[in-house]
Amino acid sequence: MPVSIQFRQALGKLVLPALILVACGVILLGKADRGLIEKLRMHTADLLAPAYGLVAWPQEKLRWVSGNLQDIRNLEAENIRLRTENAALRHWYDVAAALADENATLKANLHWIPDNAPTFVSGRVVRDTSGLYARAVLLALNPDTAVRKGGIALDGAGLVGRVTEVGRRSARVLLITDSSSRLPVTLESSHAAAIMAGDNSALPRIIFYPQDNVPIEGERVVTNGEIESLPAGLPVGHVHYLRPGQPVVVPAAALDHVDMLRVFDYEDSVVPPDAPGRVPLPTGSGAMPLPAHPDQGLHG
Amino acid sequence: MKTFTPPPIRPGIQPRSSMGYRIDHGVRSSVPFLFVFFATLVLSAPLNLPGQVELMPAIIMVTIFLWSVFAPVLMPSLAVFVLGIWADILSFGPAGVMLLMMLIVHGVALSGRYTLARVNFFILWLVFGVVMVGVTALQWVLCCALALHIVEFLPFVFETVLAFGSFPVLYTGFVWTYRFVVNNADGA
Repeated sequence: MPVSIQFRQALGKLVLPALILVACGVILLGKADRGLIEKLRMHTADLLAPAYGLVAWPQEKLRWVSGNLQDIRNLEAENIRLRTENAALRHWYDVAAALADENATLKANLHWIPDNAPTFVSGRVVRDTSGLYARAVLLALNPDTAVRKGGIALDGAGLVGRVTEVGRRSARVLLITDSSSRLPVTLESSHAAAIMAGDNSALPRIIFYPQDNVPIEGERVVTNGEIESLPAGLPVGHVHYLRPGQPVVVPAAALDHVDMLRVFDYEDSVVPPDAPGRVPLPTGSGAMPLPAHPDQGLHG
Repeated sequence: MKTFTPPPIRPGIQPRSSMGYRIDHGVRSSVPFLFVFFATLVLSAPLNLPGQVELMPAIIMVTIFLWSVFAPVLMPSLAVFVLGIWADILSFGPAGVMLLMMLIVHGVALSGRYTLARVNFFILWLVFGVVMVGVTALQWVLCCALALHIVEFLPFVFETVLAFGSFPVLYTGFVWTYRFVVNNADGA
């Protein structure tokens, strides 16, 4: 179509403002429909996950080699340390064996209900998707593995986070240090319940603890069974005071360098029973059958 | 009607418009776009570099600024838009903020290019620093507004400083690329 030069120039000047308007539209769209953007990002991450794995592999090998070299250098000191530690551990092994026996006897006497063994899958962290305003990692998955949203991720030492999005080949794990992470925890020595709130720094804060029972420096922090899908007693870290009146949790897991994660599925661990006295809704027929005699009602 | 073709400005031997020539020309002129595209991709990989998160916007902004000032033909608005979407998908921040920042840097560079292309290098550096401070402040405000609470300010300061500091390095790379890769003897 023949257009005049002036018209084409005017059109060219309009392109940039139009694109800026579209960008504002994208911001609003991202705020209004977060799922769409997340789906797009997870799709891209799914496509790129093998490539990211290729990048992570040599790094891990390199770290392994350098770790080996360091090990060889201080082999002597390490041996001495391990020997003393081994002697101490043997003592603790005896104690633990005795206690385990005693525990088994006591549980047998008390008709203890054993906990269900949770199922878990392990995976490699392929990408740290932490940005300026989020703390999360991406986990590579086999397409057949059943990882569900809400799964609990742990490394060798403690709680790492929760699964928030699941793609076909990857899952995103929101770390406990993220500013939107809030977890109910128990402080082990003072037996106080509190909330651990991430704030994007390395040390999540402890909030909502009882004012007459303040956290003690150095005490262990474990999860609290208050919410579904998160059982009680998983190790989280220990309490540390940055300054008086500001307790934080030092996470037990190495959150700045997550390599491998185990994702546990505790989804159906505790199902609350039906509330007593509630009349079950009839299935099929529309109206609720009334009792024939008023005095043979709900309690009759 | 017979179309009139003007005489060439530089009379001489013109290269034949063969397939190979066109491919060569196309690759050369898409170097800026491809550089930003792959820089974004590589910096989103788990390299465990210190400051990797802040380095990505720094490199993107400097590159877009320089090409928009000196050769806007090779960094058109539409390309900046596509690169912005790409960076947004890979960066897991609030959607669209990165895109808006890139378009603003591009717009500022484009509107002031007749002045900026002639000034001293140090003044250009300073102008870029001012633009970067403004854009990062906008990013911080948008992030706070979208997250509905005050986010930490220091990473944004770091991002600005990093962009300011990497300007001379990227400028050297830009001059080399412009002289020897893009702007070859036939002249685009």
